Amino acid sequence: MLFEHAWRELRRHPGRTLLALAGVAVSTAMLLDMLMLSDGIQESFRDLFSTSDYSVRVTPAGTLPFQTGATIDGVDELRRRLLETSEVTGVGPVLGSNLLAAGDSVRVFALGVDPDRQGIYRLLEGREPAAPDELLIGDDVRSQLAVEVGDSLRLRTGAFLGGTGGDGASARTFRVVGRADFLYASAGERPVALRIDALGTLTGRRDRASFLMVSLREGLDADSAVAALRERFPGVGLASVGELLEQARERLSYFRQLAYILGTVSVIVTLLLVGTVMAVSINDRYGTIAALRAMGISRRTVLLGLGVETLVLCTAGAAVGLGLGLATAEYLGTILADFPGIPRAVRFFVFDPGTAALALGGTVLGGLAAAQVPAWRAAGLEIAPTLHEEEL
Amino acid sequence: MDAAETTDAVTDESRDVGPVVRADRVSREYRVGSATVRAVDRVSMEVRRGEFLAVTGPSGSGKSTLLHLLGGVDTPTEGRVLLGGRDLGRMNERQREKLRLRRVGLVFQRFYLLPALTARENVELPMAEAGSDRKERHERAGELLARVGLGDRTEHRPPQLSGGQRQRVAIARALANRPALLLADEPTGELDRDTSRDILELFLDLTRSGETTLVVGTHDAELAEGAGRGLRLVDGRLAT
Repeated sequence: MLFEHAWRELRRHPGRTLLALAGVAVSTAMLLDMLMLSDGIQESFRDLFSTSDYSVRVTPAGTLPFQTGATIDGVDELRRRLLETSEVTGVGPVLGSNLLAAGDSVRVFALGVDPDRQGIYRLLEGREPAAPDELLIGDDVRSQLAVEVGDSLRLRTGAFLGGTGGDGASARTFRVVGRADFLYASAGERPVALRIDALGTLTGRRDRASFLMVSLREGLDADSAVAALRERFPGVGLASVGELLEQARERLSYFRQLAYILGTVSVIVTLLLVGTVMAVSINDRYGTIAALRAMGISRRTVLLGLGVETLVLCTAGAAVGLGLGLATAEYLGTILADFPGIPRAVRFFVFDPGTAALALGGTVLGGLAAAQVPAWRAAGLEIAPTLHEEEL
Repeated sequence: MDAAETTDAVTDESRDVGPVVRADRVSREYRVGSATVRAVDRVSMEVRRGEFLAVTGPSGSGKSTLLHLLGGVDTPTEGRVLLGGRDLGRMNERQREKLRLRRVGLVFQRFYLLPALTARENVELPMAEAGSDRKERHERAGELLARVGLGDRTEHRPPQLSGGQRQRVAIARALANRPALLLADEPTGELDRDTSRDILELFLDLTRSGETTLVVGTHDAELAEGAGRGLRLVDGRLAT
């Protein structure tokens, strides 16, 4: 009866209730989005890094992969030495370089890899590049340059800002042997993959790599292994996936701060909104509440009735808000997918049931807390003076 | 003595031959700004079982305050009120609350029905608070509404009822827990003459049948004349 009465009471003032529901819904949507954003990028990066077994990155000292145009020299020797250690089971070198295509009008990002030892793309169609003149393309290149598996693509080196294009200009025609999904590609990057020796020859950077992906023996703690390897390889930078995640988290900390601030704002908005709506609603009913108290209806029953009314309002609004929040997150996610320098596979808003429960619970508990002030005031009314005032 | 014992004691004694309610030199003062207003001034009175008493007087004479004191809604600053022989001043708020629920029925000028509930649900409310089971209160609410002439309006909500019908629902609600004492403060204050007459008939019927003892605070001369006994208050004092 309490829930039914609460629902009927809310329906008595459809305009006020609809506005309150809309307000709670928007506020919950914002809270959900901010909760999804606060941990979403980090979780998404974690998912991305765990798509392969390569749990360590070796980079030029003091850099992150592709942070600068710097490369590691003597890759073959370094690879051999790494494989001799007891910790390492596999090494995949990656060389990155900007190249020009389509009569120099389009820039692509070439990734030189050892196709048997790579963790940066997933083959979708065709086969791995086996010869120096073979190439994999991504969907961006496919659509923008109108090339398909089996077509040819001429690529040329050039001078680029960032220095990843090599010094002298040379060109080569490649045969497209497959199509791949490039896991770390950011918006507008247009990646292609070829054998690392072929890219080294084309760009004049043989036996070099932008970074190496290293897999460790099963069961080994990556951080401890990296610490041990650092002592033996002081000339290069070594970072575990965990450390890279931490660095990514620091780089994206402003997203988290923004999420915390806006999430807090949305909770405050809920408190103010529900508190105001319930205060107005309760003030309208002072006479009735005083009469009920005079009749012997307990303070507890009055509080329970008003609490259930708040619960119904907040739960209904928050339920709508969850749907709204998911739709908004989806829309914002598509916009932020083009954020420069962040892999497109990284999602800014990551949903999980716990986050939804937190947003729902936060809104409902916040609303209940906000309604406590007017509810306690009403339940604690001095009965006789209130009735006297109401009758005047 | 806990609240339940107190209520039971009142139940037993109110069935006894003594007065249902008695006021001994009762006063009630209020602070209004820096001034002290004595709304009721040393009033002594008693109401016997089955009686229909009208308290009359001009606006501000203290009728509502006296009714509130008699029903345990308010506590006197001087004197004492005995309801069913028990001194209300010696009870705590929780005990008075329980006593009001089970032994006092209240009817207000503005009805104060819950507009979202049906007539039946409004009548069920005090019974639900008192712990009656759903079936029992459903049946009793139906009987009470039939008793006040609204047997065909049980599922209507207050906004769908006329003023007189709403007041009848309020009277049925006040009778829900079989109170020893029914207090009605200006029950016809918002009703037209014909509807007021109907309410008077209903009150007479209820007291004649011995179902309850009734004290009405009213301006309505016809209602006052219809009561078995009358008291007049002027400036908070009983006028002789």
